[in-house]
Amino acid sequence: MSRSDVLVDADWVEGHLGDPGMVLVEVDEDTSAYDKGHIASAVKIDWKKDLQDPVRRDFIDKHGFEELMSARGISNDDLVILYGGNNNWFAAYAYWYFRLYGHDKVKLLDGGRKKWELDSRDLVTEVPERPRTSYHAADPDTSIRAFRDEVVAAIGQRNLVDVRSPDEFSGKLLAPAHLPQEQAQRAGHIPTAKNVPWSKAANDDGTFKADEDLRKLYADEAGLDFSKDTIAYCRIGERSAHTWFVLHELLGQEHVKNYDGSWTEYGSLVGVPIELGEGR
Amino acid sequence: MTGEPQGCGAPAGGVAVTENSSGEAIIEGRVTMDGSPVPVGYARLLNDGGEFVAEVPLGEDGGFRFFAAPGSWTVRVLAPRGARADQTVSADKGHTTKLEISVSTAG
Repeated sequence: MSRSDVLVDADWVEGHLGDPGMVLVEVDEDTSAYDKGHIASAVKIDWKKDLQDPVRRDFIDKHGFEELMSARGISNDDLVILYGGNNNWFAAYAYWYFRLYGHDKVKLLDGGRKKWELDSRDLVTEVPERPRTSYHAADPDTSIRAFRDEVVAAIGQRNLVDVRSPDEFSGKLLAPAHLPQEQAQRAGHIPTAKNVPWSKAANDDGTFKADEDLRKLYADEAGLDFSKDTIAYCRIGERSAHTWFVLHELLGQEHVKNYDGSWTEYGSLVGVPIELGEGR
Repeated sequence: MTGEPQGCGAPAGGVAVTENSSGEAIIEGRVTMDGSPVPVGYARLLNDGGEFVAEVPLGEDGGFRFFAAPGSWTVRVLAPRGARADQTVSADKGHTTKLEISVSTAG
């Protein structure tokens, strides 16, 4: 897989605005940014309201995804370009999610909203109207999604990549520092996990680093064994979707799963092992 | 803040309420350029080893806020046209550290 199969840059998007069969989607946890201004023709997906089940802790089921796509006017054969704030965390999560439900024609805008804003490119407030479609989703592909028992069984067996900041990994902080510090019951990390913060895979402007630098980062610096399967996790699974994208889509690693239960689940489980400090 | 309850017991005089009674080590501030707020841009928090910890888009008033831990941190601002600034700051539990950061464009 090459980079151009999964990523587009801002110039490409500007040159293809209005192309039939291409749908821009802004994905965020806080969609007030979309309401104030978004890339022309983009529709919005609210990470929480649209992608999460309102009752259980899980994401929406196949039928829910079909309904969401149909309501947004997205067809099975549309090319979907995803972008968002927070260095594309939620857009990467949505990318993983689209893949999970079998939508293969999906790409990320490299750098997301941040690069677009730092370039001072145009944003508009008009909300596009797209006619409703009849979208058909595939059954969820659990080869890219990890659950808790599998994660516990992977300790010391597979690569576990903790993509949170060093201070969350060591147990100094429980959540990213832009949030109040109360989430999981316990701080720390899963034993044997390597700490490779998602931010090391990105440049300051939010674009992904070059493949060569990425390979060096995970294999040489972090000591990941690329011959083994890998599970990535963070606090709730969005930052680790960013790393899943890097390992699976950019570096072409075959068996990589995102553990979306992540630390808010693991750090609240009774009886599982936890490691504190900088790791080994 | 004058000490917080360890359990569910009621402290004499009740829990003290201060400007930051939550016990969080807050770093907040405002970014300006030529005296005006910078509404489009990002503030990132780096730890004392220079590692990225968090990032927030600036508010319409150029404002940002982080919930850190006690210790030394750097706030890095990125704004359009290459504007950048780094400021080192120390945070304390139960205290709000306030910053005023001014940036200028790269030229």
